[in-house]
Amino acid sequence: MSSLVILILIIAGFALLSYFGHSINKTAGNIAVFAAAVLIPLYWFTRVDFSETVSFTISGFQMELGYNMYGKLFSLIVMILSPLALIYALGYMKDSKRTGTFYFSFLFSILGMTGILMSRDFISLFIFWEIMTWSSYLLVIFLGKDVEKTGIRYMVFSALGAYAMFMAIVIIHRNTGSMMLNDYFNAFGNFSTGTKFLTGILLMFGFALKSAVMPVHVWAPGAYSNTPMAYTSVFSGALSKMGVYGLGFVVINLFAHANLHFAGTILAWLGAVTAVLATFSAIFQDDAKKLLAYSSIAQLGYIVTGIGIGTELSIFAGLYLAVLHAAFKGVLFMAAGAVERQAGSTDMTEVTGLIRKMPLTFFASLVAIIALAGVPPLGGFVGKWMLYESLINNGNFLMVIMIFLSSTAAFLYSYKFLFGLFLGQEEPEFENVKEASPLMTIPMLLLSVFLMITGSFPGIVFKYIAEGMTDLGFHDVNWQMSVLTNAWGDSVNLQHVTLSIGVVFVVFLIFLTWKGYKKTYYVSTKDISSSGEVIKPEDNMTYSTDFYKPFERVLHPILKRKIEKYYDEFGEGIGALFDFMRRIYTGNGQTYAFYVIVFLVILLVFSKNIFGY
Amino acid sequence: MTDPVYFIAIPLLTAFLLPLFGKIYKPLIGIIPGLVFAFTAYISFDLYFNLEPGKPVIVQMAGWAPPWGINLVFGEFSGLIVSLITFLAFLVWVYSYNFKKVGFDNSKKYFTLLMLMVAGSIGVVLTGDIFNMFVFLEITAISSYGLTAFYKGRDSAEAAFKFLLIGSLSSTFILLAILLLYKQTGTLNMAEIAIKSQAIDPKIKSIIAILFFVGFGIEAEMFPLNGWVPDAYSQAPGPVAASFASILAKSGIYALIRVFYTVLDVEGIFNLLLTAGLLTIIFAEFTAMRQTRLRRMLAYSSIGQMGLIMVAFSFNTKAGVFAGLFLMFNHAVIKTLLFLASGFLTYSTKQKKIRDLDGFGKIMPFTSLMFGLGAFAIVGLPPFSGFWGKLNMLTATADSNLYLVIALILVVAVVEIIYYFKVIGRLYFRERHEDVNIQKPTWNAVLAMSILALVIIGVGLYPDFITDYLAKATNELFDKAGYIKHVLPSLSLN
Repeated sequence: MSSLVILILIIAGFALLSYFGHSINKTAGNIAVFAAAVLIPLYWFTRVDFSETVSFTISGFQMELGYNMYGKLFSLIVMILSPLALIYALGYMKDSKRTGTFYFSFLFSILGMTGILMSRDFISLFIFWEIMTWSSYLLVIFLGKDVEKTGIRYMVFSALGAYAMFMAIVIIHRNTGSMMLNDYFNAFGNFSTGTKFLTGILLMFGFALKSAVMPVHVWAPGAYSNTPMAYTSVFSGALSKMGVYGLGFVVINLFAHANLHFAGTILAWLGAVTAVLATFSAIFQDDAKKLLAYSSIAQLGYIVTGIGIGTELSIFAGLYLAVLHAAFKGVLFMAAGAVERQAGSTDMTEVTGLIRKMPLTFFASLVAIIALAGVPPLGGFVGKWMLYESLINNGNFLMVIMIFLSSTAAFLYSYKFLFGLFLGQEEPEFENVKEASPLMTIPMLLLSVFLMITGSFPGIVFKYIAEGMTDLGFHDVNWQMSVLTNAWGDSVNLQHVTLSIGVVFVVFLIFLTWKGYKKTYYVSTKDISSSGEVIKPEDNMTYSTDFYKPFERVLHPILKRKIEKYYDEFGEGIGALFDFMRRIYTGNGQTYAFYVIVFLVILLVFSKNIFGY
Repeated sequence: MTDPVYFIAIPLLTAFLLPLFGKIYKPLIGIIPGLVFAFTAYISFDLYFNLEPGKPVIVQMAGWAPPWGINLVFGEFSGLIVSLITFLAFLVWVYSYNFKKVGFDNSKKYFTLLMLMVAGSIGVVLTGDIFNMFVFLEITAISSYGLTAFYKGRDSAEAAFKFLLIGSLSSTFILLAILLLYKQTGTLNMAEIAIKSQAIDPKIKSIIAILFFVGFGIEAEMFPLNGWVPDAYSQAPGPVAASFASILAKSGIYALIRVFYTVLDVEGIFNLLLTAGLLTIIFAEFTAMRQTRLRRMLAYSSIGQMGLIMVAFSFNTKAGVFAGLFLMFNHAVIKTLLFLASGFLTYSTKQKKIRDLDGFGKIMPFTSLMFGLGAFAIVGLPPFSGFWGKLNMLTATADSNLYLVIALILVVAVVEIIYYFKVIGRLYFRERHEDVNIQKPTWNAVLAMSILALVIIGVGLYPDFITDYLAKATNELFDKAGYIKHVLPSLSLN
């Protein structure tokens, strides 16, 4: 049997095994999950044959599975991030109920993603896409919070996206007689303008929805923050990338083939607007999970912008940011989960001063935040550099300003996240908080190590991106292991950057130690004097509420018009319409008989029009 | 080779003999119907799988050759539907074999009526005589009224009365249509009418078509003729609602298709069917959205599915008929599962409201799982059989260039997802209420539901289990000349 089919079967098998294992007892289930986390990536890295294709015909539709390098790049994200998240989940979900359902859905969503990335025809793409959707839905409502609102909203938007794709698919089938992706790309140039637009826009809508582009992002904040954090790291890190994956091939293959660049430009603008607005929203969140959720939307905005511009460099930057985002957002959601589990809340106005209690979590978050903010010496910087360069090259200066604004504003929420949870005063309430279990910290630390390496050797990721881009029609993409160059002839060796920052850091550390060693004594955070008043332990000296009040006041006019409100109003309007329609079924037998007679009479009266005799 | 007459004769006969068996030994009341259903299912599968391609089995009743005598036609199309009906009837029996709540006296009535309904439905599908079809339709309808009123409560009596009211209108219209047809052609044999119908005055033909359309439309749950459906489905016992969806509605839509594809030759009817189907979908699904009772919600959803089936058949293309048959199969299997599961879910809740079901996933894990699976399948999520039906349906729609219809079907599918997932959300992700009594599903109910679930998953993973049969049935339906040739070897379509 083909290694691709075996891979799918292995994942499905582990999903069932974990489910039934957990219905026997926890240990058995956890062993199954751990085995899944180890064996699935092991099989993928060692046994899967990437040149293989499997063709089969089901119900008269030809289907084909097979990797290309572009899909492999995204699979890499899935296959590295999800096992780590599974191991993290073993610690995170230790005391939860119904863990069987959790791991079952978790593994099925991995199956969905794996399948999407190896689909070469629309039917299998859609099937795996839907599997991914329902399995993630089960996880969004897993905790039972806001089932009606968040859960239904997620499902409705997912369904809208999926059905937009579905419609595109059947129209494509009608025009090409085939379901293969390649047949579509090749035939696209010959389609009528209407069909071009219809299929392209419907597909783009479906994919953009998964990558939470405004104005169809409204499902994301609630869904990301309501899901158990162990899964959110995958949800935001890998699952949203399926949208990016799709946008990549739609934008590149179609709009480039048929000279429809403006559609890509519109997408890029939407991405930029998303980045700015979502960043602003993130700044004002008090819940760390919500903050990260909005931050994810913003980061996806950059990626979509990069893809939408559609030049070699911008796509390169977008894909690189996609990989990095998976890593750092993976860490951050895991860290938020660790805090939630250990301290009982992620409300940044309550939780404070955990740095000494959870140093490893803090360290991982710090690294991830630096990567997110795009500051040297970590990998995020490289992605931003390339994105700016591509935008400037393309002459999109306004977009540069927007992205720049959004990355600068991102510092605000980055700082808020770190300060709110880890820095600030230590409160007696959190005195007994302990570091999370190694099952949770090790995945975070591994991902942060990856982030640190990409700071000086981004080439390890570049390699796969360059390979992947050959499938989008960009051959011989230039890249170097640690040197960044630009179109104007400047070049930066990242190792030098890392080295200099490292040297400064070490020298400073030595200086501090040497200077301050003798005078060291321990002070508690409330051992301070303020104008003669003595601070009591219960006094709150942490400045963590209304963090950016003045800024919020300025931005209020922009942010108060929540798009959610319009959707809700629309929903209510539709509801009223439904109620009106429901009235037709009066429950009265005479009325029903009356309907029958009226219907008959109408048909008889108009029989000439109906039958045209 | 088995004689197709058995399909009708045996259930019909046993239905009337059942009280006698009950006199001999009480448990026979439960056992005999099972044997009968098992036997009909067995012979219909046997006959169906041994059918020679393109050669339907034709039986002449009482030795009179058609067009004078009544004949039964067991072809690839009718055979498929009959096999489906008998299979589901058997499963309904498995599910309701020991109906604890009602006792033996009532189960006597229940099984008598159920067998009559099944026999009538099989008759509708098999018969080659239009008046005979009317008779069988009446048998089906009258036994359905009885089944609706089974619980003898105020509400079920009211539901049965509404059903009776609308149903008698249906009978009247069909009878009128048959009278007109007989006046024009001088025959009741469907094959002969098919030949002679070309000569009928188009004005009269259009009236006949409209009368048939409205009459069968009532049985097929078409909007705005479907007022009886929500009440009947929600007041009848769970397995009865299941058999309404899988058997009664199927015979209605079969009659509609047979008359308009084979017997009458009227082109314009298909646009009408499309419009009526779309209206049915829209009104049913949007109404289902606002329901607070589980069974009513399922009833409206069932109407919506029937609307989708009508739309599929209205394209008058092979792809459309194929999709329509696939949808019929899905609807029969999945809706049956949903109704059977809902029977136990709402068993001990008084008002049968959806919000009474909070947290049932934990206390009734199997039934909830079955309901969840049915819900996933009916909204068309892969890897369940509903998906393939929807896929074929939409490709057929696209092939007929009806892009707006695709959009409409998909928008309505979103609505469908909302209301089904609301129920799933309540079943699994809510804390349960304090004082809930539950009724554990009996082992035979578990068996029936498991079989249905396996069919759904099996066809979902590998739809080619059934696509061949559906394709053959489609071809047979379009082969009008072949149908006539087999029934009336002496005559032929010019």
